[in-house]
Amino acid sequence: MNTPVEQPTSDDAVLRVQHMRTEFVGDQGVVAAVRDVGMTVNRAEKVGIVGESGSGKSALALSILGLIEPPGRIVSGSVWLNGRDIPFRDDREMRRIRGKEISLIFQDPMSSLDPVKNIGDQIIEGIVWHQQGVSRRQARKQAVELLQDVEIPNAERRLHDYPHQYSGGMRQRIMIAIALANEPSVIIADEPTTALDVLTQAQVLDVLQRLVTERQVAVILITHNLGIVAEFCDKVQVMYAGRFVEQSMVDEIFYRPTHPYTEALLESVPRPDRLERGILPSIPGSPPNLARLPAGCSFEPRCSVGHGKQICKEQVPVSLTVGSPMRPVVAECHFARERFEHSAQHVEGAPV
Amino acid sequence: MLRTVINKLVGSVAAIFGASIISFVFLRVLPGNPARLIVGPLAPASSLLSVEKQMGLDQPVIVQYGRYMTSFLRGDWGFSYGAGVPVTTEMASRLPASLELGFYAFLLAFVAAVICALLATYRYRPVTDGVVRGTAFFGLSVPPFWFGLLALLLFFATWGILPGPEGRLSTSTTPPPSITHFYTIDALLHGQLSTFVDAVRHLILPAITLGLAPFSYLVRLLRANLLDVSREPFIIVVRSKGIGRFLAFARHALPNAFLPTLTAAGLVLAQLLSGSVLVEKVFNWPGVGALVTDSILRQDNAIVQTFILLSATAYVVVNLVVDILYGVIDPRVRIS
Repeated sequence: MNTPVEQPTSDDAVLRVQHMRTEFVGDQGVVAAVRDVGMTVNRAEKVGIVGESGSGKSALALSILGLIEPPGRIVSGSVWLNGRDIPFRDDREMRRIRGKEISLIFQDPMSSLDPVKNIGDQIIEGIVWHQQGVSRRQARKQAVELLQDVEIPNAERRLHDYPHQYSGGMRQRIMIAIALANEPSVIIADEPTTALDVLTQAQVLDVLQRLVTERQVAVILITHNLGIVAEFCDKVQVMYAGRFVEQSMVDEIFYRPTHPYTEALLESVPRPDRLERGILPSIPGSPPNLARLPAGCSFEPRCSVGHGKQICKEQVPVSLTVGSPMRPVVAECHFARERFEHSAQHVEGAPV
Repeated sequence: MLRTVINKLVGSVAAIFGASIISFVFLRVLPGNPARLIVGPLAPASSLLSVEKQMGLDQPVIVQYGRYMTSFLRGDWGFSYGAGVPVTTEMASRLPASLELGFYAFLLAFVAAVICALLATYRYRPVTDGVVRGTAFFGLSVPPFWFGLLALLLFFATWGILPGPEGRLSTSTTPPPSITHFYTIDALLHGQLSTFVDAVRHLILPAITLGLAPFSYLVRLLRANLLDVSREPFIIVVRSKGIGRFLAFARHALPNAFLPTLTAAGLVLAQLLSGSVLVEKVFNWPGVGALVTDSILRQDNAIVQTFILLSATAYVVVNLVVDILYGVIDPRVRIS
């Protein structure tokens, strides 16, 4: 089990996920996309979840919202939100919680809005659903305010426009407006900037940042862009093959990654100061087949440290907590302790 | 919007004229002499010539066409030598029968296709989905006349629950006074409940037989579209607002899945409205399909020509309505 990083501010927790396990039944048998994972998110905290495609990031997001569709299913887990356990596997109950206490911003702004409904209707839909006794007229007013909040010009008039009449960046901000509609305490943003150009990315992150400071919303940012994590997040969780292999504060991870996978991820980010070294390093091999995981550490076949070592091949590593109590690092690696102590020497330079 | 509609309207009229020219020329170029068929094989050349002259067959094709179209537009659709009555009279009795059958077959096919496609995709139900796909496969492969005969054999001959191939009504039932020429509607309008029930009972088997293939076609299309749309991220986004599965499906998945199906549904409707030869023959249905096949064999050109024009009009009108509907439903079309 992944123990959530215990923060000194943990009375401030808004979301706590424990023992989440999600499986999909496919041609190759049962595939566990999320394997017994836990995490804690505090009020107004920005948590980054990073990992390669297929590492289970999105599956985790959908599991927390209870939106896993067959042939997928949530096998076990509990979600604690705003002071209580929520029945995240009960669709009927979750309808009152989704979009109100926790909401989702989805990756592709091109396909995340219904092409045949106008923007106003799509924002109002969630407002009318959750706020009883609100007339459509009042909801419309709220929608205009929301659009103004995410800096859509001429909000009142543009309410009647359809998704194809907006640019990609605007659509992503509309998505944020939709997610914000009922003032949730947690927003899960699944690759909110992936399909956008760098400038628009920055705008979207600015909007998110404002929500955190002004409204105390906690944001879980799912991405494979380490630059965005470094810039935006307080805390990072590195996901590999359905597990969090490393969790720590953001500067910790960039200065001294403890898990070899984290280190390899950082190495493979293009950096101007490393250009003269020639070929961009990449992680050898590909993510493991989740239907047939290695017996020991799931990263062993690709690991620069543990590849071929007896212990890595045979034993599944347990979570080791290293570092100071104030800045704990949790890593699932047999060599976490040694590596943590020596890691300062291994990584040169400033954070990405 | 109005401009687009007018443009399409002009195009539609042109298409009907095109169809009239092509069909007219083809019917005249075909070997065989309609006048000979009228006067009989033994008639002398002089009477043949006088009939040809009377029918205008001695004129060039272009003149014949001009005469035909002017009288057609005036409502004079010619005289059917096969039936011995004006074409308008013959069509007035035959067309409603085909229209009524085609309309109900379409209604049945469309409603059933929507329901089955929803059942197969609304939840992950591999068994239901398999049954729906199997039925669609069967419906597309089976010949309608064979299916019709089988249905008659079971429901009429063996179990006797439904009437046999005796047309639109039982021999003992008199047709209701004509208003719409649809027996079911006319019967209801006059409060003749027993006539209504009789008309419906006579419609069941032919409508199912005629609607089977269109149903299969539509259900396959709709099912595939619904599956595609329900996997779109925006459905998850809708659900993440707290909207339940049913509303997400009804409000968002269904309208999006319908769009590509609309054109297909239009073509199917037009096809069903223009009658079906084999199904009408099997059920002894007094529609235009059977009439037209007989007329082709008799070279009763007036009937065939009228039929081609009417079905071309049906296709064009249905397509026009579909195009306009697209503009109403799909904002992306509306703007461009």
